[in-house]
Order: sequence, then C-alpha cells, then structure tokens
Amino acid sequence: MKLSIYVVANTPLHRLHPVVKVVGIFCFFVAAFTAGSPIQSLPLAAVVGALLWLGGALANVWRFRWFLALVFFMTFLVWSLFFHSEAPWFAWGPVRLGYDGVRFALATACRLTTFFAVGLLFLSTTRVEEFADALGMIGVPAKLGFVMTLAFRLVPAFVDAALSVVQAQRCRGFDFDRGNWLERVRHYLPVIVPVFIGALRRADLMAMALEARGFQLPGPRTSYRTYAWGWGDAIALVGSVMLAGTWLLWARFAGGN
Amino acid sequence: MRELIAMWRNTRMVVFTALTASLYAAILIPFKVLPIIPGVTELRPANAIPVVCSFLFGPAAAWGAAIGNVIGDFFGGFGPGDLFGFVGNFLYGFLPYRTWELLTQRRPVLRGPMDWLLFTAVVGLASGACALVIGWGLNVLGFVPFRVLGNIVWINNMLASMLLAPFLLAVVYPRAERGGLTYGQVLGRRETGRVGLAYVGLGLVVGAVGVGMWLGNGLSSGSVRVPWVGEGVAGGTGAWAVGLGLAPVLVVLLLGMVLL
Repeated sequence: MKLSIYVVANTPLHRLHPVVKVVGIFCFFVAAFTAGSPIQSLPLAAVVGALLWLGGALANVWRFRWFLALVFFMTFLVWSLFFHSEAPWFAWGPVRLGYDGVRFALATACRLTTFFAVGLLFLSTTRVEEFADALGMIGVPAKLGFVMTLAFRLVPAFVDAALSVVQAQRCRGFDFDRGNWLERVRHYLPVIVPVFIGALRRADLMAMALEARGFQLPGPRTSYRTYAWGWGDAIALVGSVMLAGTWLLWARFAGGN
Repeated sequence: MRELIAMWRNTRMVVFTALTASLYAAILIPFKVLPIIPGVTELRPANAIPVVCSFLFGPAAAWGAAIGNVIGDFFGGFGPGDLFGFVGNFLYGFLPYRTWELLTQRRPVLRGPMDWLLFTAVVGLASGACALVIGWGLNVLGFVPFRVLGNIVWINNMLASMLLAPFLLAVVYPRAERGGLTYGQVLGRRETGRVGLAYVGLGLVVGAVGVGMWLGNGLSSGSVRVPWVGEGVAGGTGAWAVGLGLAPVLVVLLLGMVLL
C-alpha cells in the first residue's frame, strides 16, 4: 500500500503558500456545501477537475476511482431511502422513497463526491508539514502541528513493523489467508501486540531526543522551511474567495443550502 | 479536565499523543477498503486503539485519537466532516480513562465480572459520546442521517473495543506499567479536591449520551418532536430538527466534560 497521496511535482498549485491552500480548500468546501442541486455541483466539479489536472493529481483520481464511485452510489442510496419524502412512491417503516428524496439524494451525492475530490486535490498538492505549518500560522499551537507531522511520519514505521511480524509468522508456517474474510481479518489482529510493545519502547527514546533538542524551551520556533508570498498566492486567494462568494450568491438566489 | 492542557508541558505525553495517533491511523488505513458507508465510516478494528491508549496514556490518548482519525482520513475521506470526527474521537479517547479512574482504583486489566461490567459501561459511554457528536455533525451537514450513522458509529466502536481492547490491555498494560510508561506514572497522582464535581460531570455526560442517542434517533426518523424545534423547520433531511433538537444535549455533554 502506498502510504501517501502527495504527488511530488512543481506545479503552480504545489508552489502556493500553505495558508492560501488551507483558505482555498475552505472556500471550495463552502462552495460545495452551498450547492443545492447537481446543476450547481457540476460546474464546481469541473473547476476541481481542471485543478486536479493542473496539480498533476489525475493519477490519484484514478487510484481512488472506486472510492469516489462508492461515495456517490452509497450517498444516493442512503438519502433516497431515508429522506422524509412528502409524497412517497413507496413507504415501509423508516424507508420513504419519493421524487423529492431522489432529487435530494442526487444533489447530496454530487456534493459529497465534490467534497472528496477537493480533499484529494489538497492532499495531492500539500505535504503534511506544509499543512502543519499553515495551521501554526493561523494560530493553532505549534506542538499540535508537530504531533500531527510526527504521527504522520510514524505511520509507515508501524506499518513496516506490522509487515515484519506478518513475514516472521509466515516463515513459521502460519497461514494468514486461511478461512473466510472475517477469519482472515482475525488472523491479523494479534500482530497489533508486538507493534504496540515496539511503540512503547520507542516512546522513551523519542522523548529524550526531543528534550535534547530543546522541545520544551519557550520562545518562537524556527524552521528550515520558509514560505514567501507571491502574485500567484494573491490570485489564488482572491479566486478562491470569489468562487465561494459566487456559489453563495447562486445558492441564495437560485435555491441551495 | 485540566490535565488535557497541562500534558502538553510534558514531552513524554506529547510523544504518547503522536504514538496513539500513528497507531490508530496505521490500523485505520488498511481497513479503508472495507467501507460501511463509503467516505464516512468503514469496518474499524482500529477503534480499540483509543480505548487501550486511553487507559495507558490518559489525556494524550484523547488528543492522539482525534489527530489519528484526521490522519486516517488523509487516506480516504478528508472533508468538513473531519471537524466532528476530531471532537468525537477526542471524547472517545478521553472518557474511558477518566470515567474508570473516577469509579474504581483497580487496574484496567479485566479479572472478574465486575471489571467486565464496568469496562462495558465505560466503553459504551465513550462510544455513545463519539457517536452522538459525529452523528449530529454529519446530519447537520446533510451527509448521512443520524439514525444511520449514529448507530453505526456506536456499534462499530463498541464491537471493536469489547472484542479487542481487553485482550490488548491484558498484554500491554503490565508491560507499560513496569516501564513506568502509564500516564499516572508520568504525570503523577492527580489532585482529588474536585471529586464531587467530577461525579456531577459524569452524571451529566451519562444523561446527555443516553438522552442524546434516543432523541437523535427519534428526531432523525421524525417519530419524536421537541418543543424548541418548530413544525416548519423539520425538512426532509431532518438536519434542522436534529441540529437544533440535539443542541441543548450537546451543551450538557460539554458541561459534563468540563466538570469531569
């Protein structure tokens, strides 16, 4: 399993200031949220699609194609069945299938799929360190951002440790693929124990390493990563705010959330 | 609740937060391929981790569970719902250790029926609080009805924790204790002056979770109405009914948390 969605590239989207990316994704979320019909969602999806192409992230769209399709289908199914339809074609217990429910389900499925496409765009063009830096710049405590980046970096280490345990057990003749899918899941669960113990062993060493580097010292923190504002950032920021404003006005005058 | 802030001054606790987050995310990510509601929730055996870490690392597990859930969503499902996932998982990591230490002095290694009963109650409460916040938030956003998601999250959390957490705690807790790596050993004994208020807080949390789950299901299905939500705001999604109807319950939950 590839443990990162980030696409290593030097596109205009990759070069944006992290704060602009965070504000931008917020604006896109606002626009996607206000879209009350597929007619309002589809142009936004087209903009996101164009940005995914610009950010070199279409490979990630392909990688997550079944996920996006399932999000669309399941959202459509859930809301078609559970919307409180006023004139249902069919009603049975909590299930009320009707025109208004199907219409809402289609709009919500478009909206939710757009949300995830926006998330995919953000993660394809933003490193977790940039995200943590942006959170720090907008007032989130530095230690919280640090924990996020440290945890993100530790995930592959724990996955590697788990895979090593699996390989060791296989060498001893244990068959992880025996039985139905539930039994197979159950075979993997004892693997958690050595990974957990390994994590505990690391904890002390990591704490000492951090303190040796003055982790708890007061005062502003310095970083090798520096960010500069440019014209591209200003254009992206204004464009994102205008996009959110346009969709808000569209929803206000043509009906939306 | 003061330790939730104070722990950031202890480097070991900061490391425990990162360990909880990464362990949680590392087990969440492979199971993203087994979705229950795609983009919203999936089969989550990893949900045992916040409970185990809560008993081991205390307040660090609350922050770790919240951050770990966000990292897990980086691999499928990152969106505005993550805000509610953050708060819900924070409660899921906070309530087990806090409730347990308030109700008993025993170690969280289950030996007899009383231990199992208490553990079930504690995990049920934490799962319910998590389900209440996430179910409410995602229904307000119009993503998934509370009566679908709230119940799935509650059952998912309960199942994972009841099936895996006792087994993991039995193996891991004594080792962590021997190494001086439990939160009680790292932070020292907490002050006991506010125990009475803490019990009031626990009562409020229990009441909010019980009433909230019942009311959320009722409001979401349209079978229950509350006087502070007018007829005109019901709507097809139940977003306004659930949003406004559950708001006072969530305020009580928050108040209970502060007192705990």
